Amino acid sequence: MPVPAPRTRPHPVAVTAVLLLVAMIAAALWRSEESGTGARDVGGEAVPVAAPATVPAVPGAFCAPTVTNPGGRNNYRADAPLDVSLGRGLVITGVVRDAACRPLPGVPVQVWLQTALGSERENRTTVLTGPDGRYRVTSDPAVAQFGEPNVHVAHDVEGPWRSVFLRNVVDSEDTLATVDLTLVPSS
Amino acid sequence: MSLVRVVGAVAVLGAAVLVVLALAGPHLAGAPVLLVVSTVAACLAVAALAVQPWLTRRPQREPDHHRARKVGVHVRVGGIVTVLVVLHVVALLVEDPDDALYSMSPDGPTRARMALIATLLLGVVTLLGVLRRRLRWSPATWRFVHGSLAALVVVLGVGHAVVIQGALDGWGTPVLLVLGGLGAVGAVVRLVRVLRAPPPPGAATPPDGGRVRSGDGLRG
Repeated sequence: MPVPAPRTRPHPVAVTAVLLLVAMIAAALWRSEESGTGARDVGGEAVPVAAPATVPAVPGAFCAPTVTNPGGRNNYRADAPLDVSLGRGLVITGVVRDAACRPLPGVPVQVWLQTALGSERENRTTVLTGPDGRYRVTSDPAVAQFGEPNVHVAHDVEGPWRSVFLRNVVDSEDTLATVDLTLVPSS
Repeated sequence: MSLVRVVGAVAVLGAAVLVVLALAGPHLAGAPVLLVVSTVAACLAVAALAVQPWLTRRPQREPDHHRARKVGVHVRVGGIVTVLVVLHVVALLVEDPDDALYSMSPDGPTRARMALIATLLLGVVTLLGVLRRRLRWSPATWRFVHGSLAALVVVLGVGHAVVIQGALDGWGTPVLLVLGGLGAVGAVVRLVRVLRAPPPPGAATPPDGGRVRSGDGLRG
């Protein structure tokens, strides 16, 4: 009959190491951003009135340039069809400005997102901003993509303005997503 | 019916409910096969994680052959969990490399960071199991490290499944919480047993120096 091994306690170094590891994991989770670095919740409820008029720029005003955020380029493709509807139920809109806060007309903006009918790689369109710098895309509601519904908005065409790619999040019940862009000259 | 059998039955039932909810829900309707495979693998992994801590050896009260059989089941279920998690991650990587790599990056969302840490810890826990005899740690030290990290795997892995939006929203959430709670309670019970173990008679200090003594090496 085998002799049972004497029971002991774990080595203090092992206990300390595990406690340190737990603290490090807690810190790593605490420091992380819920939706990813730089991703903002841009969703809301659409109000059934005309879009607000773009406020003209005040002389001397400064708008902080939009910076590409991590994940902004995820599933980006350059060949988006021009100005097609992606469904109905969600409006993605915003104003494109320069750093002096002046609206930029005729600037291409690509929008892509996952909906119940299309994956993020297929569901995309490029639209041009109007005279007031505003763009608008209608889509089916966003559905969770890797754990959360998100909307990509980019100015991706080579030209006078530097490219920028954004990944922001919405709720699946949202009917409006507002993403403004402030572009800087490409040179 | 033993407690382990009850937990096992709950885990099997939980796995079945999760898989049915995922497959019947709108999120996977028309989804690519790899996404379905990844989700089903994750559902099964959660259920396996729930029962896994309860399959470790119970000291003292049971005959040797019963203990050995339980360790064997524990090892096999551990291997299954590892394979399922690898399948879950690889399927996501192949299906959507952009989002998968972003999720695993330092800029990824909190829920993805939870999953990443849980996956890394699962690798460490598995390695600890494979290298147990080579490490020549004392049983108490090995059990404490293996069990602590396994508890973190359960909490972070199932927590990731709870906070993520998608196929297991709605009724899937309470099922996940029950399974995660079972796994976490099982892991904590095992850890408490290790920590409350009395020091060996005549030992100079309560801790064992972390090294295995003669006769301890093959015991679990």
